[in-house]
Amino acid sequence: MRNHRQSEPDRLRRDARIAGLRDFQTPSLEAVEQRRRQLWQRTATALALIAAVVVAFAIIPSNRLADAGTGRVLFAIVGVGGGLFLWAFHKETALERLTRSLTDERVLTAALTNRLHEVSLLLDAGKQMNAHLQMDELLDTILRSACELLDATGGSVMLVEGTDLVTVCALGRDAAVGQRMRLGEGVAGYVAIRRDPVLIDGHADPDLFPGLVLREPYVDSAMSVPLVHRAELQGVLNVNAPIGRSFTEYDLRALAVFAEQAALAIANARLYEAERAHVAALLDLRKRREAG
Amino acid sequence: MVAHHKPRVLIAEDDPDTLVILRINLIAAGFEPMLAGDGHTALERIASESPDAVLLDVMLPGIDGWQVLEQLHAKGDPVPVIICSGKDNILDLQRARDLGAVAYLVKPFDIDRLIEATSEVVGLRQAGPATEQGTAADADGVELA
Repeated sequence: MRNHRQSEPDRLRRDARIAGLRDFQTPSLEAVEQRRRQLWQRTATALALIAAVVVAFAIIPSNRLADAGTGRVLFAIVGVGGGLFLWAFHKETALERLTRSLTDERVLTAALTNRLHEVSLLLDAGKQMNAHLQMDELLDTILRSACELLDATGGSVMLVEGTDLVTVCALGRDAAVGQRMRLGEGVAGYVAIRRDPVLIDGHADPDLFPGLVLREPYVDSAMSVPLVHRAELQGVLNVNAPIGRSFTEYDLRALAVFAEQAALAIANARLYEAERAHVAALLDLRKRREAG
Repeated sequence: MVAHHKPRVLIAEDDPDTLVILRINLIAAGFEPMLAGDGHTALERIASESPDAVLLDVMLPGIDGWQVLEQLHAKGDPVPVIICSGKDNILDLQRARDLGAVAYLVKPFDIDRLIEATSEVVGLRQAGPATEQGTAADADGVELA
């Protein structure tokens, strides 16, 4: 019975041994491919030799070889050929298993590397955002970092003011700054109400997004994510893809993770602004009292 | 010698933790998992290794799960695809159905239900009539086929 509890490295080593990769220390698909080529070259050469011998037997007049037991010799040669083919097939099966296992390992390694890269980018963006407490600088950093992270050409940050969303920072369409829309209107309003990230590919559906206003220049692909901190909606972050490129669900997830940090930074900046205003009011009061 | 063919299931998923967890559980359930961390690799492995089923995450780098499904649908590839997505809105369900996916599982999914759905898809077990236990995707998603 096959040992089903055999670990992955053990299985790899066993397959490598069967396949003839005896010095198998560092797994590599290239080594497996090389061994495969080598195996079939040798097998093809050996089979060609056997075929040549068989043909030679066929060409030589049978009466000269009759006494030598031609039939038995031919049978043995063909048997050796068949055995050789089975041996090569057995090795090929092990090589196939190795290829699959090594491809899987490569996929896992790549996934880990990608995740590390993504986390590293988000960490850098978080550091940059947390270095600012002035709202204007912070919003600019948020938007630029988001565009850099996703190779976007432009976008905007909208903050909640009462029952409106106000565009407070924009990249690629400066005229948008200061524009207001009601919560629930258009794509950003939908995102604000639902608190759900949205990926737009092609024309947005006006039925899905009531109050949608199509703006120039037309954007092929865009994403909007809510900026929520401690269940409180701070605003909405929008980014636009360059012409000819479409954002994917993967990009949407990255932006949503980024938005969590951005929302925290905005909440901190608002707190800082409120504290500064409070201190200024106290100082003003003290001045008046001293003057009076 | 009797050839023992385990059903091969391609896991197309970019999250390394999920990849490892699914691989371990699928092996334990008697499947032979294959991995793909992005859409391109998924399409390559589907074309070259013809898996018996595909667990397709929607959020994949490069080309995403929807694009993979669209390409398979356009080619008329008969491989059964189970969509794994964090979203459960009706538009996504409809899109998955239109593109020929056989089931739609919503993350975070129960691993037993995922195995159950995969088993049904590859035909390991006869899918009986809907019982009190329900079909494979009742709690975490929707059977589309």
